[in-house]
Amino acid sequence: MTKLAVIRSSPNVVDGSQATTDLVLEADVCIVGTGAGGAVTAATLARAGLTVLMLEEGGYFTHADFTMREKDTESRLYQEGMSRTTGDGSIAILQGRAVGGTTVVNWTTCFRTPEDVVEHWKRKHGVASFAYADLVPHYEAIEERLAIAKVSYGSMNPNNKMLHDGCTKLGWGVDTLHRNVHACMQTGFCHLGCPVNAKRSMLVTMIPDAIDAGAKLVFRARADRFDVEAGSVMALRGTLLDGEGRKPTGRTFTVKAKRFVVSGGAINSPALLLRSGIDAGGLVGTRTFLHPAIGSQAFYEDKIEPSRGAPQSAASHHFAHRGEEIGFFLEAVPWYPALIAATTPGFGPAHEAVFTQSPHMAIHIAITIDGFHDDVPGGRVRLRESGAPILDYPIGPKLWNAFRFGQKRLAEMQFASGAKTVRTLHEIPVVMTGKVDEAAIDAARWECGSLPVSTAHQMGGCSMGDDPKTSVVRSEDLRCHTVTNLHVVDGSVFPTSLGVNPQESIYGLARLMATRIAAATRVR
Amino acid sequence: MPTSRRRFLRNGLVGGGLLALGGVGLAFYPSKEVAVATEPLAALEARSFQVLVALVSRVVTAKGANPVAIAHGVDRSLSYALPETQEAINKLLGLFENALPGLLLDGRIKPFTRLSPESQDAVLESWRTSRIELRRNGYQALRKLALTAYYMEESSWGPLEYQPPPSLRALAYDDSQVGTPEWLRARSSGDTP
Repeated sequence: MTKLAVIRSSPNVVDGSQATTDLVLEADVCIVGTGAGGAVTAATLARAGLTVLMLEEGGYFTHADFTMREKDTESRLYQEGMSRTTGDGSIAILQGRAVGGTTVVNWTTCFRTPEDVVEHWKRKHGVASFAYADLVPHYEAIEERLAIAKVSYGSMNPNNKMLHDGCTKLGWGVDTLHRNVHACMQTGFCHLGCPVNAKRSMLVTMIPDAIDAGAKLVFRARADRFDVEAGSVMALRGTLLDGEGRKPTGRTFTVKAKRFVVSGGAINSPALLLRSGIDAGGLVGTRTFLHPAIGSQAFYEDKIEPSRGAPQSAASHHFAHRGEEIGFFLEAVPWYPALIAATTPGFGPAHEAVFTQSPHMAIHIAITIDGFHDDVPGGRVRLRESGAPILDYPIGPKLWNAFRFGQKRLAEMQFASGAKTVRTLHEIPVVMTGKVDEAAIDAARWECGSLPVSTAHQMGGCSMGDDPKTSVVRSEDLRCHTVTNLHVVDGSVFPTSLGVNPQESIYGLARLMATRIAAATRVR
Repeated sequence: MPTSRRRFLRNGLVGGGLLALGGVGLAFYPSKEVAVATEPLAALEARSFQVLVALVSRVVTAKGANPVAIAHGVDRSLSYALPETQEAINKLLGLFENALPGLLLDGRIKPFTRLSPESQDAVLESWRTSRIELRRNGYQALRKLALTAYYMEESSWGPLEYQPPPSLRALAYDDSQVGTPEWLRARSSGDTP
């Protein structure tokens, strides 16, 4: 029996869907969510000798469940069965829902938080309790544990090579990426869960570490609300879900703990606070950022076969800093039949004519960097009548301008890499042959519902800072300003977006903060 | 209030009104039964299923595509969505079908299921290019559900020259201990695990 199989069958791992009675649980620390923030926090606290309880709404899947078929996996591994969007339906939200959270389905790209972003948080958002240097040892430890390493140019698939080569030809800054994989077989199916356990997600690293150190995990357990009295959480109440995570079983759970850590990710974490009546003067849910992205399809004479190989292995941050304008970075997107069929515009024979050219297609995206401009407030999480979250994210003129500019640069890069034809993803696409048609791109319909906008990076909503008037949690230990035993440790505490893929930023920050939380909890 | 937020709210209100219209006026001209469901429906209402089958027939025209099977695939996917989303999709399909808003906005008097294929394409085209955001987003939602359900099936992959590997279950390995403090200690002492 492998180590992972031993962990999976541990008596400390409880399937909430199978509970025949309501559960009453106790721990030193209860952590809600097992993604990048929750898993690192759980492992750190459990190793420090605290009794830790992890709760997860999603299922506990293993490599055997990752069949490399969208049909078997997408509905199960993503929030809302992969149907999550912003309130008006304009932005598709890709966010994981499983033991291991989004780390199970992400595309393995790792960046430390840029130093200038941490500086910006200090200067603009009052994040005074740590500096970039404080994060570095935690990044190093995480990089070792997750085998994060820079990939070589030679290992890139053609989809990423086109991005790399196009940028290089234009003199734009571009580099290969760091990935959290070990002995990667380059199957290309990161998005559907790694079928061979090569991806060093939380599922195969920090969660086993936590359970090894004595932590308990209950999955198919949805946290509903905290009971808060006199500024302290007295208990957490929740609902147990069926085996597919679709409906309540009728059983509930209650947790009593000295401390609680919310790690449900941006959108879910602020929603849990709001359901508990914790709104921090109206700040909870606000300043939610998404790195909203638009795409461009390029068609080459040679085959690209974008479904093969590591999904992401190159990125360009050449346009990340654009002063008064919103910056963006460029990355590749992997090809899966249903995912890319949905983003290829049109219907009927017109759609089919383009989509069947997929073997020659490369897909690249411009990912905008929101949250750094005063007139770009981001989105706001609110609650539906049922208590489920919904995110309103109006796309303002500044973001549309960035999309327009990014669309032109995407096409420019794709032509520089040898593309014969470039198509925007507008419902009425701009089709360019041989060169960029800037006037046609300007004339395209830049409005919601006329082109796909998506996000795989959700940040903010429980912003950190040291002024309770402008932030939800303090930067010292990510504890809520108004609730003495409640912390938020995930991407929702970022005061802005990051300008890079977020997973390593969450790992590093979580490890630093969990170390501080452990020390504070032990002292008590 | 900033312009973008004002526009956002206004669009939401217009959208809400239109969605409400989806549920009325149906007796005005009943839907046509275009297909028989071959399994119980999990998320879609019976009438929504009929509209969806008609819509899928126009969105997915690839040779061999089976609109009833695709509509069931959509229903299965939707069963994982929030109840609110399921309700919204049912309303959206009602609006798509409904002759009353169709009459107001497109000048058509028949429900979608009773139109000729050419007229159905014209309805899709009018939603696709509509000035009303709800219609554009609604078209996108339904189009994506149909295409996603079709292209999830292996039977659709031939023309795409796409063949994922067979099961790799036997090749999965367990490197979960790589990088743990114990593993690192063993490595530094020369006893590589």
